[in-house]
Amino acid sequence: MRSFLITVAAALLLAAGAGAQNYKAPRTPDGLPDLQGIWQVRDTAAAFDVQDHEGALGIPPGLSIVSEPADGKIPYKPEALAKRQANFKNRAAEDPLNKCFMPGVPRINYMNFPLQIFETPKYTLITYEYIHNYRTILTNSTKHLDGLDWWNGDSRGRWDGDSLVVDVSDFNDQTWFDASGDHHSDKLHVVERYTRTGPDTLRYEAAIEDPEVFTRPWKISIPLYRHTEPNFRLLEYECQAFRDAAGEGSR
Amino acid sequence: MTLKWGLASAALGLSLAALPAPAHHSFAAEFDVNKPVTLKGKFVKMDWVNPHTQIHFEVTDADGKVTEWQSEALPPNVLYRQGWRKDTLKPGDEIEIEGFAAKDGTASMWTRSVKTPDGRRLFAGNADALQK
Repeated sequence: MRSFLITVAAALLLAAGAGAQNYKAPRTPDGLPDLQGIWQVRDTAAAFDVQDHEGALGIPPGLSIVSEPADGKIPYKPEALAKRQANFKNRAAEDPLNKCFMPGVPRINYMNFPLQIFETPKYTLITYEYIHNYRTILTNSTKHLDGLDWWNGDSRGRWDGDSLVVDVSDFNDQTWFDASGDHHSDKLHVVERYTRTGPDTLRYEAAIEDPEVFTRPWKISIPLYRHTEPNFRLLEYECQAFRDAAGEGSR
Repeated sequence: MTLKWGLASAALGLSLAALPAPAHHSFAAEFDVNKPVTLKGKFVKMDWVNPHTQIHFEVTDADGKVTEWQSEALPPNVLYRQGWRKDTLKPGDEIEIEGFAAKDGTASMWTRSVKTPDGRRLFAGNADALQK
């Protein structure tokens, strides 16, 4: 009986805590939770460094978006941490974006550029203003491709209540999580969760695992905001790599 | 130079007559359809990059000197749709690559096909395929 009461109390507490997250997304004509629209982060520092960081030349200060582990730090293996520090030092030359490469997932979702979500019963499409990237997220219960690596990975989605859950695999080892050299191998596996939290807010979460680089899986969480400006739309953004006078790769 | 071409298969020259002149600029600029070549070597790695994949392999000549060769092939998506996978060739595999040599005489070539250790010959693109 006592344990039953505790369970009930815990359930009530959980329900209360989850209250703010119980926003019920409107439905599309196909009956799917409606995530459609043009979204963008307001936390523009995450794309520079997903962890707590001070401001530096070209890097705005920001708080960690790493929600797990609780210390907000990426659980690197020692040798992988050393590589991260080397990447940070050489970031001007080594950041894949400075070579106009595709950003990879999840980085592309918290870059300071708008993205647009379209839903159909068989797939969800995300188009990105940043260098005409797009992701076709198949939601037709098909499996990942095998034996081919992609910059943005291969995305397969499913609807879980009000959330779109996307399993992303088949990555190459060339992309970073941010402009500070946070990196991964081609064993990277990302599970994303997109959940409406209000009329104009969308929570983006990603669970990240890569046994070659991290000691344990970790998670990020960051809100996206709807663009409500009249006539807002994605524009063209092309990337042009060049060398500045100091010989630094730049954009 | 002579040493490298000593490894080339003369038989391939016969099939060349039927080959249309390459129109693809990068091919015509870099490779020579009049220099068919077949090399045996040890597969090192493959870069699955656009616009063309690159197969790296080591060729040992009669004197035991090892040269690293690079053989260009069709783009990743084309190879994938033909059945290639990133682990189709494994480091250390003894392979035979057949194609066209570079005009500039460097250790690079264009891939027509690759023979795997188990005897399969995998098509990887010829000069006229590049025109499409």
